[in-house]
Amino acid sequence: MNLQKEAMDWLDRRLGVRELLHSNLGGYLLPRNTNIWYTLGAVLMAMFGLQFLTGILLLVYYVPDTEKAFASVTMIMNEVPYGWLLRYLHVVGSNLIMVFLLLHMLSVLFMGSYKRPRELTWLSGFIILNLGFVFCLTGYLLPWSQLSFWATTVATDASGAIPFIGDYLIEFLRGGPSVGEATLGRFFALHVMGLPMAFLGLVGFHLFCVRRIGVSSPPFGEHYRPTELTQSFHHEEHPGGVPFHPNYTIKELSMVFFALAALVAITFYAPWMFIPLDALEPADPFSTPEHIKPEWYFLWAYQTLKIFPSELLGLASQGAAMGFLAMLPFLDRSPERRPSKRPIFVTLYLLGILLVVGLSIWGHYS
Amino acid sequence: MSDTPVNAKQRRTFLGIILGAIGAVIAGAFSWPLFRFLSPIDKGGEAEQVRVDRQQIKVGDAHFFSYQGRPAVLLQPQAGEFVALSAVCTHLGCIVKWVDDSQEFLCPCHAGRFSTAGQVLGGPPPKPLTTYSVTIDGNDILIG
Repeated sequence: MNLQKEAMDWLDRRLGVRELLHSNLGGYLLPRNTNIWYTLGAVLMAMFGLQFLTGILLLVYYVPDTEKAFASVTMIMNEVPYGWLLRYLHVVGSNLIMVFLLLHMLSVLFMGSYKRPRELTWLSGFIILNLGFVFCLTGYLLPWSQLSFWATTVATDASGAIPFIGDYLIEFLRGGPSVGEATLGRFFALHVMGLPMAFLGLVGFHLFCVRRIGVSSPPFGEHYRPTELTQSFHHEEHPGGVPFHPNYTIKELSMVFFALAALVAITFYAPWMFIPLDALEPADPFSTPEHIKPEWYFLWAYQTLKIFPSELLGLASQGAAMGFLAMLPFLDRSPERRPSKRPIFVTLYLLGILLVVGLSIWGHYS
Repeated sequence: MSDTPVNAKQRRTFLGIILGAIGAVIAGAFSWPLFRFLSPIDKGGEAEQVRVDRQQIKVGDAHFFSYQGRPAVLLQPQAGEFVALSAVCTHLGCIVKWVDDSQEFLCPCHAGRFSTAGQVLGGPPPKPLTTYSVTIDGNDILIG
């Protein structure tokens, strides 16, 4: 008796798993010319999974109390066996996730995959990117170091530039007039419970959109033709394509392992890249360290606030840029996705990247 | 060596096996740190002996304290006679209470009763309370 076959038969009779697996694995065909940029979603899923795992493990020893948080993190680093490894994996992992999220967004922009009918896929992905920023911001405070405390003070203070409600908004975000016990409480709750739940829901919706609409063909090669838009729902098929499993899953797995190799390499050889000296001192609300700077992914926003004559203008320009990106598929309605046929878009795309990179470098050295 | 060309399916299968093997090695390598991370930490701070001021223990009274991370109790049933016991009931691990009137221990969970020497007087406990050695050192009492 073949036990595996018996178990499969049993499940198949009840849930129709063979048909389900076939239609989503071997029988689910993808374009033949998908490139490595298509694997970033799987890489991100793996990295997020690791963040969940290391995050839950860190919760075993972390104490969300202003008097004890720094000591508990120090204990994780110095006393708990392999605590340093799990914390470094969590810290480095969060930074790599931001790298992969940005690369994922840039590749989708370049290949025009955000366009109709994938507006909702883009929008949910863009919200996930922003959730990633909030994840990082809230997690940054938890070690209650000088860096955490003052970075959060500066970040929450920026919202004060909003007219009429600015002052109230600062207090609301902090849970009081300044960063303190209440801030730690709400940031901790958000980081370990609120954001993960919102994140899971959004990722579920994002994947549903990807599967339901179908994977877009890479807009390259002489055989590529823009998809004809229809008024009714249309699932994009790829007849003659390659099966999702094993062809695509193996490709994805390879990229996941490359990403994990990068994570482990930085964790072992250069974790200080993401843990500056100010992160090694406990928070002191009466002593601001010199040259306090946000993390690299917020440097462009930090510098924008500095170069505008008023903070309100700086915030408004950031809001306009983010709003424009969020609404892009509703503004850019042409079905053309080939970069060679979109010179204006590609020029703006490259200038946009240069601007963000330039602002970030300027912010770092200013 | 065979000169037969390797087809795409064979290459993919080989890659799959290699990736699976690497995954298994990584999972194995990380299972040890994970186990050690979750294991109780030996801080080395639990004293082998606990010193209690003799004045704290009145005749017929009980003094609860922590001994090697577990609740314990020190009592003086008669003048100059000191007894140290584990305060953990041997039935299901609840902490026993000292009943002044009857000069015995009562477990609030299932009414197990113990004498001042830790012997079972009644109820479900299967064995006596663990006793610890007691030494008088001037005005202090050393337990353990």
